Amino acid sequence: MTVPSVAERSWPARVAVVFMARPLQSLGGLVLFFALWELASRTGLIRRTVFPPPSAVPEAFWGEFTEGIWLETVQASLGHYALGLLAGSLLGCLAGSLAGLMPRLETAQAWVIRVLRPIPGIAWIPFAILWFGVSESAAVFIIGIAVFWINYFAALGAVQAVDKDLIEVALAFGHRSLGARLFKVLLPAATPGILAGVRTGIGQAWTSVLAAELFGIDGIGQRMMQASGLLNGQIVLVYMLTLAALYGTIDMLFVAFHDWVLRWRR
Amino acid sequence: MATLAAIRQLSLSYGGAAGTPVLENLTLDIAPGEFVVVVGSSGVGKSTLLRVLAGLAQPTSGEVKLDLPVDRARLPVALVFQEARLLPWRTVRGNVAFGLEALELSREERQRRIEEALALVRLSEFTKRWPWQLSGGQRQRVGLARALAVKPSLLLMDEPFAALDAITRATLQDELIRVWRETGVSILFVTHDIQEALYLAGRVVVLNGKPARVTRDVRINSPWPRNRAEVASSPEAASIRTGLAEQLADGAGI
Repeated sequence: MTVPSVAERSWPARVAVVFMARPLQSLGGLVLFFALWELASRTGLIRRTVFPPPSAVPEAFWGEFTEGIWLETVQASLGHYALGLLAGSLLGCLAGSLAGLMPRLETAQAWVIRVLRPIPGIAWIPFAILWFGVSESAAVFIIGIAVFWINYFAALGAVQAVDKDLIEVALAFGHRSLGARLFKVLLPAATPGILAGVRTGIGQAWTSVLAAELFGIDGIGQRMMQASGLLNGQIVLVYMLTLAALYGTIDMLFVAFHDWVLRWRR
Repeated sequence: MATLAAIRQLSLSYGGAAGTPVLENLTLDIAPGEFVVVVGSSGVGKSTLLRVLAGLAQPTSGEVKLDLPVDRARLPVALVFQEARLLPWRTVRGNVAFGLEALELSREERQRRIEEALALVRLSEFTKRWPWQLSGGQRQRVGLARALAVKPSLLLMDEPFAALDAITRATLQDELIRVWRETGVSILFVTHDIQEALYLAGRVVVLNGKPARVTRDVRINSPWPRNRAEVASSPEAASIRTGLAEQLADGAGI
């Protein structure tokens, strides 16, 4: 009788170990988390009215979805999230890069920034409402400010940290204008740092989205407040999990983009 | 004899005319097609000389006359650095294209130049690699191809093989001689390694002292490819060593 060699017998197992083990373990942890939560509710440890079990979520979600509320709410949030994120990131990267390029500009604005930077984006809510009313523009403004600073400092640091030796390569090979140096060396070299800032902004922007919406601007935050007012914890949970899913998806897409842009890195 | 580059009474001080003098009244002519190696100890100002010629540093006084064609399809001088200094976000091909992007070239001509330069340094198979995927020697080859692609009249090389292992260095030295003979480009090569100077140079210029000046200018007539042991024991070698030693003693006495 022939015994299969160790290699023959074990390769599917090895593949399973390599490709499945970690995601499976993580999934196991997640299932356990929901199971314990469900159990706590069924045994009466947590009262349903205080904090609903996960099993209440699908039904609540289905209700929100079929009534068209979920889609409308998510669209509203995503709308000002995207606009605020885009405006804040672009302006922040631009201002940060310029300050990094021009030491005098950086010095001139240094103390202005010391005054403005510690003010959280949320602190601008009263003015945002005063200027724009309870509107989409107010939300975009608040989100934009929070994202702006993150990107400003990331881009400033990234441009300042560009290896001077590489700039010398540009000069030695005939790229002497500011534009040529900027696009041939400075910006590509600063891209990893700039993208790290953008990614932080993608996460931080959600905080501002929620804050703006808790003040009455249409979207997930406002819907959560409404549901809370009606003592409907399931719906609050639906939107909390929606937030997690939206952030996770957007971050995952961004990481894929980030890895593609920086595919030149080891 | 025609002159490609004439360096006249060149002085350079860091921190302006009253600062630390690095080069003083340095005069040197380079003929078309010549392979000149500048030897000197570390920190003597060899790299500074190259930086002046490459337009990266301004002399305090004196002048550099480059009798080079004003041509929008070529760069008059190109520089090869000690640490390759490839742009990590560009492939091998992209790095070789870097200097060409500052020139007025048709698309076809640009492609042709890239392929030609990569073939010269024998890297045609590696065009799509990223710099981190290359060995130290390959990175230097890319640096050389990047410089050759702009078809310079004068190729400046700043200790390009100093950071490589002995075997790779020897190979690249032979390759460089081949490239020089195939292209006819004039080379000004800086090194602190006397053996390297003797193996490569048509002419060795010894730079020494603080501030630095030319203390020996020796023609090496031995044909290529050379025997390393033979050139190392030649009378020219002795003269270069004396030139370096003299000045060191001189400097120590100050």
